[in-house]
Amino acid sequence: MYKYRAQLTKGDEIRYISHLDYAGVMERAIRRAKLPAAYSEGFNPHLKMSFASPLSLGVTSDAEYMDFELTKPLCQPEVFDRLSRALPPGIKLIRLKPVKEPRPCEGKKHKALMAEVEQGLYEIEAPLVGDWSKALAAIHKFNQATVITYHRVTPKKTRDIEVKQYMLDQVKASMVGERVVLDMNIAITQSGSIKPVEILELLVKKYGLPIDMGKALINRSQLLGQGKPLIDLV
Amino acid sequence: MIKLEPAILQAVEKPARYTGHELNAVHKPWDDVDCHFALSLADVYEVGMSNLGLKILYEILNNRHDTLCERVYAPWIDMEDIMRQRNIPLFSLESFTEINKFDILGFSLQYEMIYSNVLNMLDLAGIPIWAKDRAEGDTFVVGGGPTVYNTEPICEFFDFFILGEGEEVISEVAEAFVQWKKCGRPGGRAGFLREAAKLEGIYVPSFYEVKYGENGYFSSIEPTALEAKAKIYKRVIRDIDGVHFVEKPVMPYIGIVHDRIMLELFRGCTRGCRFCQAGTSYRPVRERSPEYLRQLARKLVDYSGYNEISLTSLSSADYSCLGELVDDLFSDFAEEKVSFSLPSLRIDSFSIDLAHKMQQVRKSGLTFAPEAGTQRLRDVINKGVTEENLMTAVEAAFRQGWKQVKLYFMMGLPTETDEDIVGIARLAEKVARKYKEVTGKWGVTVTISVSCFVPKPHTPFQWFGQLPKAEFERRQQLLKDSIQERAVKFHYHDARVSVLEGAISRGDRRLNKVIYQAWLDGAKFDGWTDLFKEDVWYGAFEKCGVDLTEYNERSRKLDEPLPWEHTSPGVSREFLQREYEKALQAELTEDCRRGNCSACGVCPALGASVIDHQQSEVGGNV
Repeated sequence: MYKYRAQLTKGDEIRYISHLDYAGVMERAIRRAKLPAAYSEGFNPHLKMSFASPLSLGVTSDAEYMDFELTKPLCQPEVFDRLSRALPPGIKLIRLKPVKEPRPCEGKKHKALMAEVEQGLYEIEAPLVGDWSKALAAIHKFNQATVITYHRVTPKKTRDIEVKQYMLDQVKASMVGERVVLDMNIAITQSGSIKPVEILELLVKKYGLPIDMGKALINRSQLLGQGKPLIDLV
Repeated sequence: MIKLEPAILQAVEKPARYTGHELNAVHKPWDDVDCHFALSLADVYEVGMSNLGLKILYEILNNRHDTLCERVYAPWIDMEDIMRQRNIPLFSLESFTEINKFDILGFSLQYEMIYSNVLNMLDLAGIPIWAKDRAEGDTFVVGGGPTVYNTEPICEFFDFFILGEGEEVISEVAEAFVQWKKCGRPGGRAGFLREAAKLEGIYVPSFYEVKYGENGYFSSIEPTALEAKAKIYKRVIRDIDGVHFVEKPVMPYIGIVHDRIMLELFRGCTRGCRFCQAGTSYRPVRERSPEYLRQLARKLVDYSGYNEISLTSLSSADYSCLGELVDDLFSDFAEEKVSFSLPSLRIDSFSIDLAHKMQQVRKSGLTFAPEAGTQRLRDVINKGVTEENLMTAVEAAFRQGWKQVKLYFMMGLPTETDEDIVGIARLAEKVARKYKEVTGKWGVTVTISVSCFVPKPHTPFQWFGQLPKAEFERRQQLLKDSIQERAVKFHYHDARVSVLEGAISRGDRRLNKVIYQAWLDGAKFDGWTDLFKEDVWYGAFEKCGVDLTEYNERSRKLDEPLPWEHTSPGVSREFLQREYEKALQAELTEDCRRGNCSACGVCPALGASVIDHQQSEVGGNV
């Protein structure tokens, strides 16, 4: 089997499709591309593909990672072109690399894509509705706090999450035109993480960040493992 | 152009229903064309996107250089609330243009209980609901699809209807519109409708006058315009291989109801089941050639990326070259892990063998439709299936490893007695015991699904009075009490909806105001059980002073004029009457595809003929 890792986008056009739907869309794209895709064994064969960290509904991304397997070793440019042409609006192939499995003497095999993710970089932009100084103060207060609790409510259960343990860096704020842009660096661990929208909610509701949350747009700009973009790990 | 802000899309269920941008969607510059067509099905995105007819018409219209066609479906109730609060009008999924800016809005009318949604969509679009209130420059509203063989109950909301298969006539309508527009819109709205009425298969209801007799029943309908024909016959595609079929389906980003390729093997079914409206309205049988179907399958897989093909038709197992076609498709797509399915099975071992081949291991369940519980009643409806057929079929299925069988039945068929109802339970139990006999163990599930019979126009049972709701419910209870075997599970349809459907499907023009009243009082998504508002509908009949039972429960006299006979699928009244009389005698009629012609009148009325590839091969050898 010949494994490849792709860095893809999730654009504004498909902002509102779920992670599962995104995977289905990619599966059909690989089939349209007529790549010699590898299928799982068994009665109900499906494409051998895996994804990094699922993206929330409504969030765009410049850094969706997908590993997939082919049965023939096609050269990178051919796979790149064929897959690119088959993608629907809203998904672009940015980078593609064959995954070189190390020889047995060289040590361990690559970890599953999902297990390689350690941090996510996000940017959020939203219209400012008030004073910029007030916005800066809110961000400052958030950054200075040592412990912040987020009360997460899901249909199944509710629990309190300590937020700061996942903040790898301070939230940075800037103004672009009339819009506030926030940069966040969030840890993604095996035991959990915090969503950028949840941080935004805290910033607005608890720290008084003066923005219009209903118009906020969130984008994932990168996913990192060992401090490097996931595509550079292979 | 409508742009929905993130807060709205984050607040609704499945926001991708409203955001478009799908692969293979066609985007044309608005000002480049003369005719702007919006195609709709008045249900949610996932249902609308699954309709094969709309997929075909979408491509045909967009293949015209002078026309653009975009899609619109009914917003779900959560989105509708937001749209109404914020005054957001209904918009299309390609260019997000307001629907009332389109020249023509077409609705695919799949079943009667969708009508309230049509009204709701017109209202959301800002198009006057009553056709008579539409002014120059307003959108023309056209309907087509399975319920057009009686459009009287909704005819005052539509400017015109397309009867029958739309591939050719939809293009003729676009052409007529472009010509009318280029000539400076002579005669205004009525001018275009007169041009449309000249086309075969087009019904313009405002060009007719209806009279009612002293007894209050419908007595006649007469054309009032020169262009309006006294009787309008449906359109039929004579050369089924020569007409456009879907090649590049719009690919949804979210799961839809039929999320797979639909390969249509043939149109029509001539088995002649007497309750079945599709059986009369899609005649004659016309098969696509296996070679053409293979080409279509190739294109569809290439353009869609789907790995599942459903071989659709009214009764797919009747396709004359099915075995050969399936073998060829299997070899064509062996490398690509494409799977195949048959939506309906005939009750015989040929079908079982085929299903076995298709579902190599995933034996999810098999569905058969004996329709009635006793042989006598199956003969009344001309089902042409015996208990022995069913036992042979399920025996074969159990030997192949199936453990789940679903059996479809109807309740309230003409001449039905309690014995027939109990017969349903007995038949299901025999099937369950057959499993024990074949495999030596228990563990089978036999699900019986029983619907309430709704007599439909242009069928041999169009004269028959539907059962009252209470009687349906009594028979449902009787059946429930008759089931003794634990392996048999019983599902039944909501009789409250069926009796309304019964009234509307054989209604006349006086029901327009009832449907309007029901919509006004909040009826929508009536086909969705949890949203169906029984009180609203009964209240609407009462408020309008219309007696529901006159429409659903009343048996019509055989010589009584019927309000739907001017819009015809081509079967003659004589044929239908003959079949009704034979039904009461439990006499069978042959399938005209291979057996004797039953003189239904379709072929001569429409100038069409049966296309059966097996027959033509035999003919070629003689």
